[in-house]
Amino acid sequence: MAEDRSGLPLLYLMIHNNDLVLLRTVPKSGGTSLTRKRREAVQGILYVLPSFILLIVFCIIPIFMSVYFSFTDYNVMKAPALSGFSNYQKMFQDTYFVASMKNTLIYVLVTVPLQTILSLLFAAFLASKMSKMRAGGFLRSVMFIPVIASAVTAGTIWRIIFNADNGLLNTFLGFFHIPALNWLGSTQTALISICIVAIWKNVGYFLVIYYAGIMGISRDLYESSAVDGATPAQQFFRITMPMLKPITYLVVTLGIIWSFQVFDLSYLMTGGGPGKATVTLVMSIYNAAFKQYRMGYACAQAVFLLLVVVVINVLEDKVFNRGEV
Amino acid sequence: MRTKKLDRWTPLSILGLLILCFFAVICVAPFLYMVIMSFTQSTTLIIHWRDVNFTDFSNFVYVFTKSGFVRALINSIVVVGCSCFFNCLIASMAAYGFEKKNFPGKEALFRVYLITLMIPGQVTMIPTFIIMNNLGLLNTYFALVVLIINAFGVFLIRQFMSGVPDELLEAAKVDGCPELRIFFRIVVPLIQPVLISLVVFTFVTSWNDFLWPLISTTNSDMYTLTVALSLLKTQYQTNYGLVLAGATVSFVFPFLMYVILQKQFVEGIALSGIKG
Repeated sequence: MAEDRSGLPLLYLMIHNNDLVLLRTVPKSGGTSLTRKRREAVQGILYVLPSFILLIVFCIIPIFMSVYFSFTDYNVMKAPALSGFSNYQKMFQDTYFVASMKNTLIYVLVTVPLQTILSLLFAAFLASKMSKMRAGGFLRSVMFIPVIASAVTAGTIWRIIFNADNGLLNTFLGFFHIPALNWLGSTQTALISICIVAIWKNVGYFLVIYYAGIMGISRDLYESSAVDGATPAQQFFRITMPMLKPITYLVVTLGIIWSFQVFDLSYLMTGGGPGKATVTLVMSIYNAAFKQYRMGYACAQAVFLLLVVVVINVLEDKVFNRGEV
Repeated sequence: MRTKKLDRWTPLSILGLLILCFFAVICVAPFLYMVIMSFTQSTTLIIHWRDVNFTDFSNFVYVFTKSGFVRALINSIVVVGCSCFFNCLIASMAAYGFEKKNFPGKEALFRVYLITLMIPGQVTMIPTFIIMNNLGLLNTYFALVVLIINAFGVFLIRQFMSGVPDELLEAAKVDGCPELRIFFRIVVPLIQPVLISLVVFTFVTSWNDFLWPLISTTNSDMYTLTVALSLLKTQYQTNYGLVLAGATVSFVFPFLMYVILQKQFVEGIALSGIKG
């Protein structure tokens, strides 16, 4: 931390030295606009510099290192040895990785659409029916609570709620004579259980974004369309949805990026089990790197994750922009 | 007016309201369950009210004395405090540079910042671990704090910074106000609302961070609360009251923060959403 604090006076000094230099070398009356421009540029760069250094050191350089390591065998002890594409070839023969890929894909395909639709519907309802009511604000606040809990806290609680023997959920379902399920212990329901918790945790967040977006749509549109006899359903599909397109884009993009990174919930709730039923991509990366110390192999998986996210973003961009015209 | 409002409540919308309320209950119930269970000694999973004793803090006492939660709590508080401070400082400086100063390549650089927001943290995690390991920085607060600082803060504050009037900054400059004083005395107070939003974001991100602390701390003295809680869960599998007491401790701080700064939470998210 020390270097950050001492950075400030240094910056101060540099800016002032610069002032002095410029004042000394350039006559005050003449090309002031040029020197001012240069001085401003230097100041701008200095302001951006601290964050730029962090970005370079802890984001941009590591990306290139990841790509490099992915073509090597590296176990931390010995220097990385180039191994060509072998990590990538191994990846697709590794049943653990393939299972993790499949699980993550299912997780994304279940959570992203459901959380997007639920948060949109809830937001639309709250905005159209309850925007002036205190109860509406209260409901929004309550639904946000799962967002602020850590995935670790949420996973800890839900693991206990999902407990097969007299857990809260099974007991509750018992009231309706629904037979008890071994939620986290069975390969059929474990992944779905994690998806449920994820949706539970995310809806409040996207609801806030959607709600703000809907409140930003002009009331006039709704009033004039109501005069023309539009039903609430028509208003929703013809006004709300098209107007919210940029926000939906954001919600889906964030949803996809976050969902591909799922780790905490499944680590806490099932540890990847039963068998390989809830192993996720990031868990596979974590295990390869920090349990087996196969850094090169783990980096190959990480680079694969990056490629998947990039490709999906590009495709999503295409889908969203095609309808734009 | 009144009748008009009543008209809007069709049977369908009442059904909607019921679904909404049901979801709201599901949102709170697990937390209520957590708090109540942390006051019981019973090993059953169903709340039996005769076992619940709200004056019996023995689970909490045990969590704090026996499982290193005190140290983890202190670590989390230090890490969160430093993360919030440095993220705000560094991000607002950068945002000011991007928005109010001109330098060559500015917008291209800003685009790089935005692109890095799309990159999953796990891609950079392993090399970062190796860098930190080689520099002997694992098990330090520095390692835990520095990764929290990312381009998001710069992006968020820049949105807000455009509302700071250029004339004001010009006037201060003409009056001979030193550059850094313009920044700290004029700009920072003006962007205070967005700084609070960023504090809230950083607080939650840093407090809830799990994977990076799990990797970068090998010494139990440096565990953060999330790591300590995950270990508590493995150590005391079936002592549900105890595990949930740990969960309650880790939840109570962000929850209080949320109760106090609710508006900033919501506005911060809305701000990042609408303009993003």
